[in-house]
Amino acid sequence: MRKIKKALQKAFPKVELSVGLDDRGILTLYGECASWQQLVDIGHKAARLPGVENVVNELRVAGQRIPQKDYRPLRDAGRSRGLAADVDVLIIGAGITGCGIARELAKYKLDILVVEMSGDVATGATKANNGNIHPGHAEKPGTLKARLNVEGNRLYTRWAEELHFTLQRCGAMGFITSRWLWPALLYGYIKALKNGVEGVQLVGGRRAVELEPGLKRSAIGVKGAMWLPTMALVEPYQVTVALAENAAENGVRFWFNCTAADILTEKGAAVGAVTTKGIVRSRIIINCAGVYADEISAMAGDKSFTIHPRKGVIAILDKARSPAYDCLCDHVTFETVRRTLQKSYTKGGGMCYTPEKNILMGPSASESPDKEDLSTSARELAYAMGRGDETIDYSDVIRYFAGNRPADYSEDFIIGMSPITAGFINVAAIQSPGLAAAPAIAGKVEQIVAAAAEERGEPLERDPGWEPLRLPQPEFRHLSRAEQEALIRKDPRYGRIICRCETITEGEILDALRSPVPPASIDAVKRRTRAGMGRCQGGFCQPRVLELLARERGISWTEVTLKGEGSRILLKSNRPRAEGGADK
Amino acid sequence: MKRVEIDIAVIGGGPAGLAAALKARELGAEKVLILERNIELGGILQQCIHDGFGIHRFDKRLSGTQYAQLFIDAVEQSDIAVKLDTMVLEIGADKTIYACNKSEGMLEINSGAIVLAMGCRERTASQVLIHGDRPAGVLTAGAVQRYINMEGYLPGSKAVILGSGDIGLIMARRMILEGLAVEGVYEVMAAPGGLTRNLVQCLDDFEIPLHLSTTVTAVHGRKRVEAVTVAQVDGAMKPVAGTERRIECDLLVLAVGLIPENELSRAAGVEIDPRSGGPLLDENFMTGVPGIFAAGNVAVVFDLVDYVSASGEIAAAGAVNYLRGKLGEEKSRRPVKAGENVNFVVPQRLGRECGETTFFLRVSSPQKAATLSCCSGKKLLFKKRCRFLAPPEMLTFTADASGGDELVIALKEEAGRR
Repeated sequence: MRKIKKALQKAFPKVELSVGLDDRGILTLYGECASWQQLVDIGHKAARLPGVENVVNELRVAGQRIPQKDYRPLRDAGRSRGLAADVDVLIIGAGITGCGIARELAKYKLDILVVEMSGDVATGATKANNGNIHPGHAEKPGTLKARLNVEGNRLYTRWAEELHFTLQRCGAMGFITSRWLWPALLYGYIKALKNGVEGVQLVGGRRAVELEPGLKRSAIGVKGAMWLPTMALVEPYQVTVALAENAAENGVRFWFNCTAADILTEKGAAVGAVTTKGIVRSRIIINCAGVYADEISAMAGDKSFTIHPRKGVIAILDKARSPAYDCLCDHVTFETVRRTLQKSYTKGGGMCYTPEKNILMGPSASESPDKEDLSTSARELAYAMGRGDETIDYSDVIRYFAGNRPADYSEDFIIGMSPITAGFINVAAIQSPGLAAAPAIAGKVEQIVAAAAEERGEPLERDPGWEPLRLPQPEFRHLSRAEQEALIRKDPRYGRIICRCETITEGEILDALRSPVPPASIDAVKRRTRAGMGRCQGGFCQPRVLELLARERGISWTEVTLKGEGSRILLKSNRPRAEGGADK
Repeated sequence: MKRVEIDIAVIGGGPAGLAAALKARELGAEKVLILERNIELGGILQQCIHDGFGIHRFDKRLSGTQYAQLFIDAVEQSDIAVKLDTMVLEIGADKTIYACNKSEGMLEINSGAIVLAMGCRERTASQVLIHGDRPAGVLTAGAVQRYINMEGYLPGSKAVILGSGDIGLIMARRMILEGLAVEGVYEVMAAPGGLTRNLVQCLDDFEIPLHLSTTVTAVHGRKRVEAVTVAQVDGAMKPVAGTERRIECDLLVLAVGLIPENELSRAAGVEIDPRSGGPLLDENFMTGVPGIFAAGNVAVVFDLVDYVSASGEIAAAGAVNYLRGKLGEEKSRRPVKAGENVNFVVPQRLGRECGETTFFLRVSSPQKAATLSCCSGKKLLFKKRCRFLAPPEMLTFTADASGGDELVIALKEEAGRR
């Protein structure tokens, strides 16, 4: 411990700090430093020291109040509601991780409840993800991230077949235009081989152009490339919705607007949680709370890591601007090599595109203390926009947004049964490549839950009624004219276009509104159907979606929200309406 | 798939489309069809309950709805076919239109000529680079207008308006009348974006302050708008540090410009003029694709509906002549150039024998007095003295522009009158 303190003091001589180290190698930092960035830097430095498994960062920043969520009123409110549910498995958080686990565990005879603090699935880090299913070549060999990334990438094929979401195996290529950069490609290739990336190849210039004809069009003298055929693209919220719907069809319950405020334990074992909807009894609790996972883990008595949110800003471009390449191409230059060698944790992303062929710029990467701060700034947008080629212009941007990556200080996934609290499973610090790893993470948690059940002498039993398939919903825009005609004949509601920019029909919106996990806000409808996602950003379709949402949910127009509680769009009616609240 | 054969298909049943359809029928086109995506004709005029429409055309001050109704009544009395709640999905290379609706399913419409009249859409918060949070309570002026005037709901209680274009000014007054507080109108440019009469009638009369060279830089509030930050901008339109001011409000209304809605046109192969935002047009308002014409705000954003209707009639006359084979396949068209202090001119090119042609143009910067000139080489075709010119107000004139070479339209400032 003395050595650790000494090393930290040497690196940060001006910071007064004290440390504590437990027998698991969890280092706790106390003291005060000068800035939030320095606080994060100290945490990162500490996590790399020998003997340190992970870091709990209790440092303060001089003169800065770091926002803390106050759970007390939530806990009191939840307690006063008494017992609300008694289940076998409680999952906290309905992002890609929580929904993936729920879906996989649904194959057993288990009563599963997912609680989510926001009003919909995929509202945290998941929705602000760029949808890349990375091959797994970029992760440090030997890490959990590397292993689960490669495995997850492979498992996506099955998920996509069973759940009917769009998965495009576009492939990726890192190409060089200077022979002097072959060592960089070779380094990357060896790393990819070590990680077990399937199909990775080093190819010469001619073959590279064959694989990606776009390189010929742009007339770049490609000297060689690393080809990664397993690179794929998804819409992250579409995957999450598919998982949640399939889970719900197999009996999993979802409670939205429900915050977990305390974890209940007895004799070193989890027995339940206090949520804002009441007490939930459960002997298995799975913590998929994203940026709040450290706080949930601390509630379970297991304070073993700290999440420091790392904000990323992504810009979406108009579809009129089409991607130059079919695969994701990355020009490896001396500059990019230099940046990689800097070992910065704050690397952001470059330019890619979505399965619907909108170019995405970014994400940026910046440390920020507030877990719920999703604001954007000109500086962050400029960073995201600067990562593409010079033909990209601000006038192409139709929307930008931010997400917070739930990073810990070891910068690896934390997945496992808590050694402190039996039955409490952390699935934390799931940042990139968390989306790609999601199926493997779900599989790993399934094993952990199965092992725990085995240990208790109550092995998991398969549910014979489990249905892995989720039926595909029609997507009008992707059909041929003849198929569109047939669809409208079958159900005329597909003949009415609600969102003109993305060509989304009333039928598709009604399908979403009547789905097993129905959307409750305008943004939730947007994530399921794409209505409002186009260039006019809902200027035309928002009132029409609002009308359908109000009608289907049996609520008045003034109760419809943009993005959950507290975000009503219309404050009051300015006309006399019929009695009974059904005002339109 | 239902197949429809028609002489002229008009895409969009707003003021441009209505005028085009009526004119085409009047000039003898047999089968005219209006395709309208909404459940009624009239387009955006149906949410314009304020007055000031039709001053030029009818010498009357009508509301938008009254103005539209005059045309709708005429269409209803005619044998012009109308398909409502019908969305055009595609215009194919051979001018085949694919459209769909609930009752007829997919339609394949073959027409002799097409008049594009899809109007325009509003620019959004992301397009003017507003940062901060993305809560409920940030709406375009047109959306606010629809919610208040058509649906009957108030989307806020205290508003800040960004943009002094006409819709922003109209909505400032409208919100005051509906009992909302309007903190002010902010305009990034040094000059107002709307018509003078709207500045007087909508802002001055209601004591709503207008802040020029000032913009909204950030929105605050994670769920619902709680405040915005405004800042003054320098000559390069960059916010000036130290001039930021936080304004508490629960609604930010954006009136930050209109974009001609040319997605269908582009897909049909129509070439777009980056300056007007609409198709490159000739004297008949025909696009670069023979037989496809454009009218109204899809061609260029007009300031007055009277001109929108007029442009519809020009396009309709062109379409009828095209059907009759009277529009020659002219290979070389003469360019019309925007000269001194002219931002853009429509039409952008002319046939050799174009005859009497109506030009629409906007100035680049305000001028108290200037001489408008239209020259072909050294030959002066048209000259007119103009006063109080400002970029928001469209200038229009008609001149015989036949013969000669390229045309240059310019506005020379009158000495000593700045």
